Formats: sequence, structure tokens, C-alpha cells
Amino acid sequence: MFDIFKSMIKEEWRMHSSLFGHSGFALFPVFIFLFTFFVSLVLPVFRDIVTDVQIALGMHYLFLLVGAMAGAFGLMGRELMNRRFGQASLIAYSSRVLPVSERFIFANFLGKDIVYYFIFYILPFVTGFALAAEFVSAGNFGALSTLMTLLLTLSLSFMIGISAIFFLSTVYAHSGKISLFCLFAASFLLLHISGNLNQGTLYDLPSFSFFLVQSENQLLLSGVLILVPSALSLIFLKIDFPQAQKSFSNSFSKLCRYLGSYRYAAFVAKDSIDLKRSEGGLGKIIFSFVLPLLLVWTLLSALGKVIPALSTLTLFALVLGVLSSSMYNWLTEYDIFASYAFLPLKASDMIKSKLNSYLILNLIPLTILTMLALKKDPSSLVPSLLLFLTISFYMVSVLIYLTGLSPSINLYNGKTFAIYTLSVMPLLMLNIILSMFGSYYALVDLLLVPFALYLLGKGFRKWDRNECRCF
Amino acid sequence: MIEVKGLSKSYGQTKAVDDVDLSIEKGELFGLLGPNGSGKTTIIKMLTGQIKPTSGTLKVHGINVLEDPLRVRELVGIIPEQETPPSFLTAEEYLHFVAKVRKMEHYEKVCDKWFEFFDFEDQKTSLCKDLSRGTRQKLMFAQAFLHEPELAIIDEPLINLDPVMQRKVKDFLRGYVEDGGTIFISTHILEIAKEICTNIGIIYRGKLIHTGRFDDPELQGKNFEDFFLELVSRWKGVSKEILKEPPKGISALV
Repeated sequence: MFDIFKSMIKEEWRMHSSLFGHSGFALFPVFIFLFTFFVSLVLPVFRDIVTDVQIALGMHYLFLLVGAMAGAFGLMGRELMNRRFGQASLIAYSSRVLPVSERFIFANFLGKDIVYYFIFYILPFVTGFALAAEFVSAGNFGALSTLMTLLLTLSLSFMIGISAIFFLSTVYAHSGKISLFCLFAASFLLLHISGNLNQGTLYDLPSFSFFLVQSENQLLLSGVLILVPSALSLIFLKIDFPQAQKSFSNSFSKLCRYLGSYRYAAFVAKDSIDLKRSEGGLGKIIFSFVLPLLLVWTLLSALGKVIPALSTLTLFALVLGVLSSSMYNWLTEYDIFASYAFLPLKASDMIKSKLNSYLILNLIPLTILTMLALKKDPSSLVPSLLLFLTISFYMVSVLIYLTGLSPSINLYNGKTFAIYTLSVMPLLMLNIILSMFGSYYALVDLLLVPFALYLLGKGFRKWDRNECRCF
Repeated sequence: MIEVKGLSKSYGQTKAVDDVDLSIEKGELFGLLGPNGSGKTTIIKMLTGQIKPTSGTLKVHGINVLEDPLRVRELVGIIPEQETPPSFLTAEEYLHFVAKVRKMEHYEKVCDKWFEFFDFEDQKTSLCKDLSRGTRQKLMFAQAFLHEPELAIIDEPLINLDPVMQRKVKDFLRGYVEDGGTIFISTHILEIAKEICTNIGIIYRGKLIHTGRFDDPELQGKNFEDFFLELVSRWKGVSKEILKEPPKGISALV
């Protein structure tokens, strides 16, 4: 009865530990614990701009998102699996060769994800938070009963996220993108007609509502939101998503012609095609980069009002530099070095080409920053740009040195993530403090450039020495 | 064309390749034969500088692979074991990409010739991720011969190809060697080697246990499958009949 469940747990463990080693992956929850602990220690500083309720709101939506991402990876990760592990497949896809129904396998799959992520993410997160509450004034979070409720409601949020994505993927599998879009549009329309489409809608997440006011109805509603979509998905389960084979005209040669004799023309052209044709297309730049930036600007503007010594524009340039490094992750997501290892290329050639594409993509945040600076404080334009460019370059150099061509995988290694955080966090704190002495402090950050170049050189040599393990 | 001496590769306690000596002359169609996991792919990866040996020396085209692996990969055409062209390029874009990496000029017509040869012109504009495994293999074949290398190293050349394409590829490889090219293939399918190879090497658990020509007197009048099983059983220390005969009934397996 539990054989498949146990095998799936083992599979998940081995999949990660084969990449980072047993201890490397086992350290990950420890790191989540430590990270949450240290971040929670500075929470009192932010109490002036965000309330306890808003902090709790953020946590619940964070775990809703983690649940959605965990489900999406599990359901749609076969292509990724094949590229990382060769012709491997998950047990979730084995119903064709085992005398077990697809429904039974996927019910186990859902159970496995819940148990696994509870142990690796939710539990260390809440434990770190609870420990920090012992040392600082934790406001409404101090009581043990509140923390236990938090553990329950964050788990519920995670489960709502995973069952929602499971349900949406079932709708998609049966009816395609148009139905999915109609479903979203109908939900928004219903909320609008009922007069509930406003800021308060965010507070209607039943797991979060239950955290605020422990009512049986909210707990029941959370259960319904987990069980009904999961049950519907299992009843109407369809594994093979319809795949219409699309045709594309040759954009690669056109782009190469535009780029002329530029050394990395072929790679930059390929990267831009990857970004354009992958799931979400160029829209993901807006949703995963530009929209969060607007949110950051709003938050920093609020912070600027509370602590006038902090310059909103300078802090924004700093955050922009940090967030921009996530674009390196996008660029490295679509291929693996094994796809090129038989060509006359070194790993460092690939990294250099990605770095070129990264620098070109940095024109987007650079434009946003220039426009904001010109509008808000033209005199800060030069130091802000300088700060953004040096931080972005330093961040990507650290990322390259530590993770090479696989940041989204290698950062899951607890040790690597710890080194990454230690290389970045103190520097950011120092920048925040220095920024109080005026925006031209940014000149000090020029010192980061030679260090970043040194790291890059070291990183190139390190990844050239590293033998290709298919990723 | 290929000179290998004392080549070994260990992963911890496991010896994937153990003290292999090999010499392949220009104009040979050499087949490295062996069961799954015997070390064939590891040897290919070392020959092409993708991984470093634990000990031993390798020369390809007279170039020391350890000193200049990039030059070796510039000169040689390679088809890896797994067909992994980048997902979001179309088949045509992928060949153009490889041509650009290989610094070729006026490559469009050469690419078109390969689409025609393998009869998949209708898939030119499809994304690599949407191609069938057979079509991907055709694409990998095309990329390896795009720059007309003098030496091609191919891991499992006929994998995923249908019989019509298999015949076409076999004829192409024979013709290629007749025109002065050199081919190194690895396979675990004996029939392929028997049909197209001029020379063979048999590898078992990382050890090269036989090298020779197909027209060697040792092989004359012998069933090649028997010869192969005999060699393997001698190394394994069991009777070749055990390897050859299917188990009698399911009870023999459980």
C-alpha cells in the first residue's frame, strides 16, 4: 500500500542528493532554519512600516507560491529531468509500465510532496521563526499557540497551492490554454461582480483567515480548497498534455546577422530565442522582474518616509542590482553544458556567453533606474547607476563562481547557499549603512569591480576543471 | 589517427576503464564493442577531452588530448550517447548554431543537404524539444559531419533510427571510409559491427579484451556472436553457454 509512497520519498531524496551529495542537501533545511532565524531577528526594525498581520499575510502567500511551484515542478518536470539526468523518469510517470493506476500513483505523488516539503521547508521555517521570537520582541507571534497555528496554516497554504496547480494542470491537459485563461477571467469577473475585488481580497485566503481568527468555517473552507481540486484532478486525471508541434521561421540567422561579427553573436542569439520561446515568453520578464520591482519601489518609498536618512533611489539601485542577478538564472535554465560538451567549447566559453547575454539584459533595469532617477532626483542619477552596475556585476560574479552554469540547482546545496548568503548579505548591510552618508558613497563600491573580476577568472578556471556530469 | 596508451579512468574504487591500449589508423572503421556499462562511453568522452583520464596518454590527429582538447573537438565530428540539442532552437537553427560555433562560412546549403539526406526537411522549422528521438539522432548525425571532419567518433550510431535510415547511415559510413575518412563507433549491437566495421575492439568491465580485424584468421569460419560470448565468458569466468542460453522458465529468474 505504502510502497509507492516510500519509493517516491526515496526518489525525491536521491534526485537532490545525487546533485549535491547527501550532506549538501541535508544542510538545506538547516540553512532555511538559520536564514529564517536571522531574518526574523531584524523583524522589529520593520514593524514601523509593516504590521504583524501583513508579515503573516506575506508568509501565507509565500507558502501558497511554494506549493504551486512544487506542484508545477513535479507535474511538468519530466523534460527538465531528462536534461539533467539523461533518460531518467519519475515514478509519477511509470503507470504505463507498472500495473498501478495513474490515479493511485498521483495520489501518492501529492502525499509525497506534502510530507517532503513540510519537513524540508515549512517546519524549519517556522522553527527558525519560533527561535527568533525567544530573543526579540515578537509582538503577536510570541505565544506558542500562535506558532503552532502558524505551522498548521502555512501547511494549509502550501497544500492549497499544490492542489490548485494540480487542478489547473488538469484543466490545461483537457482543454488547453484558452480554458485556463477563461477560468482566471471568470474568477476575476465573479469577484468584481460580487464587489470583492479589492485589496481585502488577499485577506480571504482561508488558511490565512484561520490564522487570524480560528473559526471552524475557515478551517473547513481550507479543507475544501485542498480536497475538492485534488479529488477533481484525480477523477479527471490526464497525464499526456496535448502538444501541438509548432513551427518557427529561422530567427537565429536573422539575429546573428544583426549582431554581426560580435564574438558571442551565436550564443546571445540563442539565449534571446530561448527567453522568447520558453514558457511565459517575454511576459515572464514583466511578471517576475518588472512587477516585483514596482512592489519594491513602493515599499522603499514607505521606508524612506519612516527613516528619512535612507535614500529611496539609492536603496532601489541596490535592490535592483541584487534582483538583476536572477536574470542569470533565466539564461542558464534552458540548456545544459552536456549539449555543447562535444563541440569545441569550454565551460568558461558558455559562462562568458551567458555573461554577455546577462549584460545585455541589464539594459532593462538600467533603463528603469535611469527613468526613475531622472523623474525623482536627477542629481543622484550617476551614483545610482554606478551602484546598480557594480552590485549587479559583483552578484553575478559570486553566482558564477559558486554555481557555474547551474545556479538554480547548485544553490540548493546548503553549503553553497550559505557561502552565497555570507558573500552578499554583509555587503548589502554595509551599503545600506553607507548610503546614509550621501549617494556618492557608491564610489566605494567600485572596489568591488576588481574583486568581481578576480572571482570571475577563478570561476572560469574552476568550471573548466570540473568534469561534465550532464548538467 | 588515434593512439591510446595505458588509459585508465576510476571513479572512487570503481575502475570504469582499465589500462587500455589502442591504435586506429586512417581509413579504418573501428567498432568498440561491449555490453552496457563496459566503459565504451567513458573511452569516447576521454578521446574527445570531455573527461580526463586517471592515467594514460591519448593522441587524436597527433594532438595530445589532455593538452589541447578544444583543437581535437574542432577537428573531430562527435555524436554523443544522448541526443540533447538545445530545446528552443528549431532543427535548422540548431545546425546553423553548430556551424557558427565551428566558424563555418556559407553553411546554409550544407545544412540543407543534410536535411535532404535524412529526409526530414519537413521538420526543419520544428523545435528540437518536439522532435522524435529518431529525428534528434538524425540531427546529431548532421551536426557531426557538417564540417566534413577526417575523423568521426560516434556513440551508438544507429540508435533510434528506423531500418531505412539505418541502411542509409551504414552506406554513408562505408562510403565515408572509402573516401579516406576514419570512423570510431561504439556499440553493443554485434550485427552492426559485423556489417560495417573493418576493425574491432571488445571491451568488458573496462578491459580491452580483444582487438583485431574482421578478416583475421582467428575469426574466420566462426560465428561472431559465439566468439564474443566466448571471450566475455572467459573473462567473466563462466561457461559461455550460461551467457548464451535463455533461462529455462520464469523460475530461473526469481
